[in-house]
Amino acid sequence: MAPLKNLETEYPIIDSNFQNFCASHGIFSVEDFLIHDLYMLAAFAEQNVSSERLKEGITQILSIIDDMHQPWLNGMELLEDAKRNKHFLPTGIQGVDLLLGGGIRVGQLTELVGPSASGKTQVCLQTASNVARNYMMLYLDTGNSFSPQRIAYFLGKTNELASAQAKNQILQKVMSNILCHSVFDIFAMFDVLHQLESNLRCQERGGGCRIRLLIVDSISLLIAPVLGGTSTRGRALMASAGYLLKKLAHQHNLAVLVINHTVGSEGGTSKPALGDSWKSIPHSRLLLSCDRGSNVYNVSILKHPSMASGKAARFVI
Amino acid sequence: MGSKAWLVEDESAREMLDRVLTERPFLLLPPLHRVPLRVGNIVEIVGPSPSAKTHILIQAAITCILPRQWKGVNYGGLGHLAMFLDLDCRFDISRFSDLLNHRIMEAANGSSSEVDCQIKESEAQNATTKPYNEELFASCMRRFLYIRCYDSSEFLATLKTLHYRLQKERETHGVNVHVLLIDSIGAFHWIDRGSSSFSLEGDTRKSLHLQSVTETVVQEIRKLLLVHPMLVMATKAAVLGNRYSMNDSKRNYRTWSAKDNLHSRNVTSSDQQVPYREYMPAVWQSLITHRILVRTTDADFVNGEHQNVSTYLSEWLLPPLNSVDKFIVRDVRKHSCFAVFKKKNQISTLSFSCI
Repeated sequence: MAPLKNLETEYPIIDSNFQNFCASHGIFSVEDFLIHDLYMLAAFAEQNVSSERLKEGITQILSIIDDMHQPWLNGMELLEDAKRNKHFLPTGIQGVDLLLGGGIRVGQLTELVGPSASGKTQVCLQTASNVARNYMMLYLDTGNSFSPQRIAYFLGKTNELASAQAKNQILQKVMSNILCHSVFDIFAMFDVLHQLESNLRCQERGGGCRIRLLIVDSISLLIAPVLGGTSTRGRALMASAGYLLKKLAHQHNLAVLVINHTVGSEGGTSKPALGDSWKSIPHSRLLLSCDRGSNVYNVSILKHPSMASGKAARFVI
Repeated sequence: MGSKAWLVEDESAREMLDRVLTERPFLLLPPLHRVPLRVGNIVEIVGPSPSAKTHILIQAAITCILPRQWKGVNYGGLGHLAMFLDLDCRFDISRFSDLLNHRIMEAANGSSSEVDCQIKESEAQNATTKPYNEELFASCMRRFLYIRCYDSSEFLATLKTLHYRLQKERETHGVNVHVLLIDSIGAFHWIDRGSSSFSLEGDTRKSLHLQSVTETVVQEIRKLLLVHPMLVMATKAAVLGNRYSMNDSKRNYRTWSAKDNLHSRNVTSSDQQVPYREYMPAVWQSLITHRILVRTTDADFVNGEHQNVSTYLSEWLLPPLNSVDKFIVRDVRKHSCFAVFKKKNQISTLSFSCI
């Protein structure tokens, strides 16, 4: 919220006279203009001595405000961007890839929900090992569940016929493509994500190998401690985290996969944690469960932008 | 339209009515077709997540951007611009283009049976099916204007500069924006509530919290509608609760408790006692002229096909109508239609309309 006088060097029309006029109406920064009625302000400016200059100043402010929002796009431009950038990242699990029409969608926030020991981390690790063959990825680990041995195991399974040297090469490449951070509270996650955002913005101009996948295992462990009670701060933090993830996904062409756990609900059934306010944040929600005593998993769609909920698939890891 | 006179000289009342009805026609947008809508109306589509709220907006946008008639084929649209303010940031353009393509094909084929509307399966991954009619498709897509807002500041900045944007688009395209779609209006509710509301530097300075943001939004929309008459449709995600789950939530799960929900007000619909929790401030509620409630239902859809079908119920709350409509949304890649069924007092009559 920079004060208005910082703009004076760049826009000389915003001189001290203009700043005083604004201050008399309780406006000290550009953000304050957003909640004031600009037409009323212009009407007040009319009564002032230097009305023309003041109105020019208001017009200048409006063009600054015009830079404060995202650009307007039409349908064709959106479609072009989707075709060029928003591909699918295959997870390597056939059942999941078929169900989702190719894999996890770049530009979207996908949520994987399941009770404990339902294979959520396994799906994450398998996806990580598959995507890291070709792209870099960032794994945010909240519960020390990241396991390099497991990644090596998944790679070994899919490359059974390759020579030992080739296997080793692939393993080296995959391991160097995975960036793993441990975060134990939501503020640490915000730190990492903001750092990622500024890195990606720099990289965009310079080119180079970019991150394609972001996994947060699990976001519910970060958010659940701040939710609850009478304060609304927890839900505000949760919504902000969701929007930051969606912004990263869309503007920097990442696929984002977050893990959520389940809690009990009335009637003894279980439902996803984090509540109703979180429900409308992810693009897709998938429910994962494991057949007891076997390694056969079920995944079904709870919500998807273009598919009916209830569609399911089975797979083995 | 713009600055044409409200009254033209030497015009009879009948002529004036004809003129107004042509320039500002009533729209019947399924599944909202029970109540005709026109510019100046502000419709709120309430429902839990997920219900078909965004789908309804998309269908309204497609109706707006399709031309009335093109190369001899009647498309039944308005040929105007549609603006979409995406506050949820979940809009999927590939789905939009599939639906638009499907409607173009349907109108071109003329018939409404499912057999004629088969589209070939889309190719792997991100490929969208080749548009049936590229030129028309492209011109329609260009009439769809989209913007994302990641927080309230961006939303307010968009609204403040919308007047100039509307003028500019009118000059570029030669037609007006007829519908303004907002998805969804309560998106930043918790973020705004969480931001500090104590006043800074004395009492003269307002800060960006829920009440001031909502007041400004309402003010800007009102002013815009004076100069650019549009139909405004906004979705709102709301928590539905019948009496059981509301008591339960207060007892067991503190994460759901909304004891400090100062703006809650239970709205009961007439036949099924399904309240929803209102959370938007009163200033927004006073702006709304129409309100419809949509929700999913687990009721079986008896038509022989069980795949890819989601069933929804819709109910008008404002103006309160005494009926519940049932509609289904089918995956347009496999099937073709968005069928609406009327259900009144246990007698269901099947009315099949493909859009």
